[in-house]
Amino acid sequence: MDPYTETGMDIDRFLRDPQSRRRFFERSGVLVGAAGGSAMFLAACGDSATTPNAATGPDESDQADVEILNGALDLELMAVAAYKAGAGRLEGRMLEVVKRFLEQEQAHADGLAAAIKDAGGQPNRAKSSYDFPAMRDQTDVLRFAVDLENTAIAAYIDALPKLTQGDLRATAASIITNEAEHVAVLLEALGENPMPSAFVTGKAT
Amino acid sequence: MTGRIAIADGDADSGAIAAFERDRRDLLRRGFALGGAAIAASSVPLLLSVRNAFAQTSGDAEILQKAINLEQVAVIVYDAALAGGLLTSAVTRIARRLRAHEQQHADALTTALTDLGGTPSAAPKGVADVEKVVKGLGDVRTQGDLVSFAIELETAAVAAYHEAHAKLVETRLLQTGASIMASEGQHLVVLRRLVHKDPVPNAFETGTT
Repeated sequence: MDPYTETGMDIDRFLRDPQSRRRFFERSGVLVGAAGGSAMFLAACGDSATTPNAATGPDESDQADVEILNGALDLELMAVAAYKAGAGRLEGRMLEVVKRFLEQEQAHADGLAAAIKDAGGQPNRAKSSYDFPAMRDQTDVLRFAVDLENTAIAAYIDALPKLTQGDLRATAASIITNEAEHVAVLLEALGENPMPSAFVTGKAT
Repeated sequence: MTGRIAIADGDADSGAIAAFERDRRDLLRRGFALGGAAIAASSVPLLLSVRNAFAQTSGDAEILQKAINLEQVAVIVYDAALAGGLLTSAVTRIARRLRAHEQQHADALTTALTDLGGTPSAAPKGVADVEKVVKGLGDVRTQGDLVSFAIELETAAVAAYHEAHAKLVETRLLQTGASIMASEGQHLVVLRRLVHKDPVPNAFETGTT
């Protein structure tokens, strides 16, 4: 299987222009909205300030968690596919680094799928193909990976308070932290500051 | 909107609680400065005794205080590191940045605690307070020792935030907490690389080793 999916988009412009990258994520269904939240999660969860209350029975809580977790699973599966696609452009140490990240994204996906089943839900599956931008060299891959990881961090932080189970919130926080660690490694490899902000939100600061 | 709602333990009118909860959240969302803190501080504990699922404001405040203490201890450690004369210039730059981040974390959490109606406890002052979190600062002899100590401290912070996420309820606190926990994770990457350790060893960074 060809791991590459050419999109025909202007990769240079994509990589230089945050608006162009943003459009990619909008098309991919992981829009980072004006407030930085994932539209997918927002759609799944309704009022962004609502958390479960006494009127919500256990089944409804589980159902709400399942929708949020499936939104996160979609992102993890996309990250797995992206790292697979990008690995073909890497060699040496960065290839090893990205293989590790790929394994960790897969571990997140597996963990989310298990949690979804525990809550009585059906885990989403990976799409048969993803419309990634072309990645021609290591820098392209690393830049795209930074964007993907930041998108995931922003989506998780948006979704986190909506999870009804404390252990799920704790797990989501541990995943956010791992994604932030990926960002640090990627930024350093790009010659940038690996910890640019005291608050890692996945949004441009 | 009613400012207070008194519910005895036992059979609670879940509809009334839900309505109150919506009002309270609406108020909190519109801004603590408008009086949300007073509502939260005075009324919510009544609900807590009835249903643990509710925003446990007093619990959130307690968790915040612990987190503030942890961040202040981290500032002390990085101050000691910067004053100790053990660091190369490159590592000095890193330590300055780490210290600045920990101070920003402490400041943000202190603001959040104050917004909840809480009063921060006295700040930790010295090595004795550091020892309550991670032991061994006094035994540090080399830059490598110091980095290893910092790794232990940052790992303890990640563990504390991880645990806190199972208990915190307020939306803004959860999100701020996650953004801070993620920052500590990035600190760990930089520190681990300084001592040639695997920078990202755990898919789920829980702070447990």
